[in-house]
Amino acid sequence: MSLRHPRRPSLRSGAVKVGAALGALLLAGTGCAIKTDSGSSSGGGSGTGTTTLTFWEYYQGTQLTWLQGRVKDFEAKNPTIKVNLVQATGQQFDQKLLASVATGTTPDLFINNIVVDYPTLQAGGVMADLTPYWDAYSGKKNFPENTTWTTDGKVYNLLPYTNLLGMYYNKDILQQYGIQPPTTLDEMTAAMTKIRAAGKYSGVALSGAPSVEGAWLFAPQFLGLGVNYCNLDANQAALSAAFQRVAAWRSDDALPRAAATWDQNASWQQFMTGKYAFGLNGNWQLGNVKKANFAYGTTQFPAPAGGKSQVFPGGEGYGIGAKSKNKDAAWKFLTEAILTPEAGESIYTEAGSIPVESQAADSDTLNKDPNAAPFVKAAQDTAAWPKNSQTAAMQQALGVAVSGVISGQTTAEAATSKAISTIDAAKQKGGGGCA
Amino acid sequence: MTLTVTTRPAAGRVAPVGRRRRDRSARVLGYSVPASLVLLAMALYPMVVLFRMSVSDVGPTNIIGHWNFVGLANFAAAVGDPATWAAALRTLALSAVLLVSNLVLGFLAGAVLSEPGRLTNLVLGIMVFVWALPPLVSGSVWKFVLNDNGAVNAVLGVIGIPAVPWLSSPTAALWTVSAVTAWASLPFSTLILRGGMLAINRDVVEAAAIDGAGYWRTQVAIVLPLLRPTLWILAILTVIYSFKSFDFFYVLTQGGPGTATNTLPVLSYYAAFNQFEMSSGATVAVLSMVVVAVFAVPYVRSINREDQE
Repeated sequence: MSLRHPRRPSLRSGAVKVGAALGALLLAGTGCAIKTDSGSSSGGGSGTGTTTLTFWEYYQGTQLTWLQGRVKDFEAKNPTIKVNLVQATGQQFDQKLLASVATGTTPDLFINNIVVDYPTLQAGGVMADLTPYWDAYSGKKNFPENTTWTTDGKVYNLLPYTNLLGMYYNKDILQQYGIQPPTTLDEMTAAMTKIRAAGKYSGVALSGAPSVEGAWLFAPQFLGLGVNYCNLDANQAALSAAFQRVAAWRSDDALPRAAATWDQNASWQQFMTGKYAFGLNGNWQLGNVKKANFAYGTTQFPAPAGGKSQVFPGGEGYGIGAKSKNKDAAWKFLTEAILTPEAGESIYTEAGSIPVESQAADSDTLNKDPNAAPFVKAAQDTAAWPKNSQTAAMQQALGVAVSGVISGQTTAEAATSKAISTIDAAKQKGGGGCA
Repeated sequence: MTLTVTTRPAAGRVAPVGRRRRDRSARVLGYSVPASLVLLAMALYPMVVLFRMSVSDVGPTNIIGHWNFVGLANFAAAVGDPATWAAALRTLALSAVLLVSNLVLGFLAGAVLSEPGRLTNLVLGIMVFVWALPPLVSGSVWKFVLNDNGAVNAVLGVIGIPAVPWLSSPTAALWTVSAVTAWASLPFSTLILRGGMLAINRDVVEAAAIDGAGYWRTQVAIVLPLLRPTLWILAILTVIYSFKSFDFFYVLTQGGPGTATNTLPVLSYYAAFNQFEMSSGATVAVLSMVVVAVFAVPYVRSINREDQE
């Protein structure tokens, strides 16, 4: 299937050419555009035999420090290759990558928010086909199947580390009420009922924002039943039960109404106040939770009745630009700096992400940390994202429905009906395919 | 500061009047070229692309490439979608709040701040500071303050009033965000109206006082009618502002809870930049622009009329 029309509009008129040139100049002047070093946006190289790889990324804080360290080590071992990290705004990342295809200046390497970006970027022709590289890669046996993100049997994106959801609990509160850490949603509901009855603490802090984040937190309530975005219409009862559970948490005051607008950071701040028994959040908080002034523990995301604990894999995918002239060097960087067991251990210790490479996942570094263990286990059996260009629209629809139920704007029944119809419409708009 | 340099042609070398006029016209035309090019590149060209998007089928798979022309299908879909009408109603509600705030409170604040004094200078300084604050910054502070267990509810608790779900209630959220938006735009309207009040001839005000009119009677019977053109322009600007107001909604509620604060700009943003439904986003944006254009025409006319007077 050809995704792009062969007749791409050309800049015919002088006025448009001048306008485009001025626009580009002004964008560069404002500092909004992604900047590259002298002529090395792709196919970079100098007369001295040095290859410059341009790497677009949006990491912050510990993740950025980790990546800078990997680049430094790689450059020390490969003096003829320089990696130029280019920082971009996460909100505008997709647009810039899509635009780079039109101008033939895709970066050599880039990361992407795999949860929402992959279908868009793959369909937009941003990503190079990595199949030949991956097939010839000797280390691939150490990675689970869900490391590779494929379309039509071709590998376009790699997910060497993952971010997953799990449950943090306040040990002090659970011990006070004689409650064991719950493993199922029913146990969790019963625990919160008991805690709320005493009137001293709240139940759970989670993100219910009307966005991808709210959907990401809500989906594990039905994923473990084999229900996902692709078959929601045939599993209306499971979705309805999940919405009714959230509505019950809300009506019992186990879940505050304010959660309807909380993003993951806001819900984490709430859990860290010590007023909540549970916090549903990700492994990237493993470093932050050490600052809690209460005893804490972690478990996998509680399983729905009759199902298993299962969450969607999140995190950053790594891709090579379709227009890159340095694909071999870019692949070398990925295999020597990103896919190694050492890189896997270091991203856990430095940034809290969970490596999927088997040696790193089995290392003492991870296994000796009991709080990391539930996330490591979750990484071995994650749910599959729908393969549809409208995945973001599907998640948005579910997020809006969850937020509506938590806030009381809509009932569980109405939210179920609306979510299913909107998600189905998005699925059809994205070609109808899903699994 | 303006520096004017006058050059005089040498005697005996004065060019004919017609030629001088032509030269002048050419020079004026030349000076306007850079501004025109910038306008073309930064305003007109994006608008043309926006209109083209709204009559094409543009999604994540063909955002780079050929756009199929679909006529008015996107507009039909948008108009037929109850979500668009709900968002339009919310935007109108925001307009109503801003109109009351900017015109009524702005007038009152402008009247009070027209009196000279140290306190006036202090308040004006604070207002300019509030006006200059980036919405992302002030919005974040308001989000913290208006949280269910934030400072506002803490104060209410002290005086025995139960906590109000300012941002998490689907009923209250729209009015709360509108109030924050009004708070941010009030300094602008106050400064505009205060400027208009200070420009009123003092003799008229003093004559009213001699006739026995009190302070507020003078404001209502004398100042208010004289400010009518300014109020009219301010009202138009306020409606235009409400149809492009996005920042506070994004920071405070992200359009939620549920869809409670999904105004037209928020709807357009999420469609275009979250779901990559560029056509849908562009269509809602064009519909908003139509409303803005309806108000922009009388605005431009009012400005021209003021200039002529």
